[in-house]
Amino acid sequence: MFYIHQTSCITAQQSFVEPTLRSITESVENKLYATENNYDSIPPNVLRRLGKAVKMGIATGNEVLAKQEVDGIILGTANGGLEDCIKFLNQIIQYQEGRLTPTNFVQSTTNAIAGQLGIMYKNKGYNITHVHRGLAFENALIDVEMLLSDHPTNTYLVGGVDEISEYNYTIEDLAGSYKKEILSNTELLNSTTDGSIAGEGAAMFVVNTVKSNATAEVKAIKTFVTKKTETLEKELSQFINTALPKGEKVDLIVSGKNGDARLNNYYALVENQLKETPTTYYKHLTGEFPTSSAVALWLASMVLSRTEPLALLKIEVANPIKNILLYNTYKGNQHSFILVSAV
Amino acid sequence: MDRIVVTGIGIISAIGESVESNRLALKNSTTGIGTLELFETNYASTLPFAEIKRTNNSLKQQLNVDALNITRTSLLAQHACNQAILDSNLTKAELESADTALINGTTVGGMCLTDELYQDANRNSTTSPYVESYDLASVAIYLQELYNIQGICNTINTACSSSANAIMYGARLIHQGKAKRVIVGGVDSLAKFTINGFNALHILSSEKCKPFDQNRSGLNLGEAAAFLVLEKESDCKNKKPYAILSGYANANDAYHASALSETGDGPYEAMSTALAVARLNPNDISYINAHGTGTENNDLAESAAMIRLFNNVPPFVSTKSLTGHTLGASAAIEAVFSILALQHQELYPSANSVQPIEGTGLKPLATFQKAPVKHVMSNSFGFAGNCSSLIFSIV
Repeated sequence: MFYIHQTSCITAQQSFVEPTLRSITESVENKLYATENNYDSIPPNVLRRLGKAVKMGIATGNEVLAKQEVDGIILGTANGGLEDCIKFLNQIIQYQEGRLTPTNFVQSTTNAIAGQLGIMYKNKGYNITHVHRGLAFENALIDVEMLLSDHPTNTYLVGGVDEISEYNYTIEDLAGSYKKEILSNTELLNSTTDGSIAGEGAAMFVVNTVKSNATAEVKAIKTFVTKKTETLEKELSQFINTALPKGEKVDLIVSGKNGDARLNNYYALVENQLKETPTTYYKHLTGEFPTSSAVALWLASMVLSRTEPLALLKIEVANPIKNILLYNTYKGNQHSFILVSAV
Repeated sequence: MDRIVVTGIGIISAIGESVESNRLALKNSTTGIGTLELFETNYASTLPFAEIKRTNNSLKQQLNVDALNITRTSLLAQHACNQAILDSNLTKAELESADTALINGTTVGGMCLTDELYQDANRNSTTSPYVESYDLASVAIYLQELYNIQGICNTINTACSSSANAIMYGARLIHQGKAKRVIVGGVDSLAKFTINGFNALHILSSEKCKPFDQNRSGLNLGEAAAFLVLEKESDCKNKKPYAILSGYANANDAYHASALSETGDGPYEAMSTALAVARLNPNDISYINAHGTGTENNDLAESAAMIRLFNNVPPFVSTKSLTGHTLGASAAIEAVFSILALQHQELYPSANSVQPIEGTGLKPLATFQKAPVKHVMSNSFGFAGNCSSLIFSIV
């Protein structure tokens, strides 16, 4: 389908981007906040006014756009700058719809990050924000696949970003998305209780149809909704049969397993169906958020481009890795498969 | 390339709850802008709005919805979606097929529940029925479950051009073979969030908006939903399509987070690229459904772009002078209006516009007229520079 050329990523783990570091950043009260030491590319007077989702999106965007120009910007974010959104909402209620300043309002619209990048890079091309909850980033990938099919000589920025805000943590907590007990992220994957821990992050990719010098190829993507494991089983077989070239196998599964006991059956099914394939996990390092599959894609492209896989992922594979399957389910309803391959 | 045709349309806005009633209001220039009767806000007595005069309870009764957590946004979307599906004669099997996609554009989503969201976000309660209802995706996910749609489902937010991009994304899914039929459109309901946001930006008018008038004083917020069913022409030979979706484009103005460049670069890019996709020349366009919000900035930028693109600017209209600015729904309802103009070979007038903007000489159409209509362009421009244009053509 298309090739990844530049990548950038911000999560709670600094060691993702500095592989010599082997330490794990631990969660605080079931939240894994993204590191904030990568904003050098944003002028201080601008930085001050930005919410975290916008900061993460612009910082990761800057990192790749400094290396390669693009013809358009395609982002996925379920909530965008939700912190600003609720700040504005609080003002509405507290000042009883009095005189308000528009800054929080303008920044809180989910399309603000893609728009801001467009303004900063004077990019007048295609610009869009997909916001379909746990499939927002996947729809961004489908979009860019279609764009490159229509415009094979173009290059695009595609990415995903979401933040933990105090407020969405509260709302998700009310919805039962997070664990009732305080748990260290290092224990997350062995947990037997309901809920996960909150995470945030951003990952950006410069993609086009040029094979040479690419880090990885995104070969196929499939999104679907179901609560039934039988449907998941059927979709997985179908995906493997159609997406994987004849005679090849999946060498590694990057699983979105998030320690929520209610979702274990979905993740277990995928592992069981591909029994011979080793599996690696990442949500104990990033926490759960709707566009976490963007980080999974970043990890996959790192694994494929480095001779020594990331130490934190503890990947033990005897042979070189050619094909990586990403599987994620958001709340056991929205599901996605992404097949990423070595170039 | 196979042509993409419109086989079903559905709409609810402040000027009508059906396609027919919307058309009648457009013909007679019957405005939907006026005093709020249902929505509660401090601005009810000072600002006019384009409100749909139906309570949530009455919508729920009509749609057979019991659940507490279905928002007004979802109800309006369901109302319009039901019409479009029925109009296109989609069978249950087609609706539930894996090659049917659903794409929604919205900017407010479930945030119309401003007070409930405030309570929940600030943990003022221990349980809440609404926690899954607030986000933008909640509407499409509700519709997908309601109709048991198995294909690709998506929600797009590009501010006021959201539903133009939903329509475009759906058409591209068909072109790429990722869907056989798509239900595409958009919805927004009145919300304290947008009312206060636009008010803080000082772009809400205290009178009925006057798009493209020298003395325009801002926009009026409205609420609406509209959906279209798009199919490949060769797949629906037994149907009589309304129109062809012949062109579309998305471009960015890359100028300011909440204003367009005076030269209208984004609007110009969107309009000219849509023409290129449709393989049409500017003089092929019979009629333009302009974005025309009635703000100082938009109407000037859009006029500049139209003047730059067209030797003679074709007859144009801002239907927002009747429906108000319905944000994420605006491109979808105006797509329906463009399709009606083609179907009935008629042009709808723009209200409240008296004196052309200085230096442009552009005056929107003031009276209803029958006219040959071949190609209609519909513009939608949003915050963050998100500009889109669609072109609909006669079959």
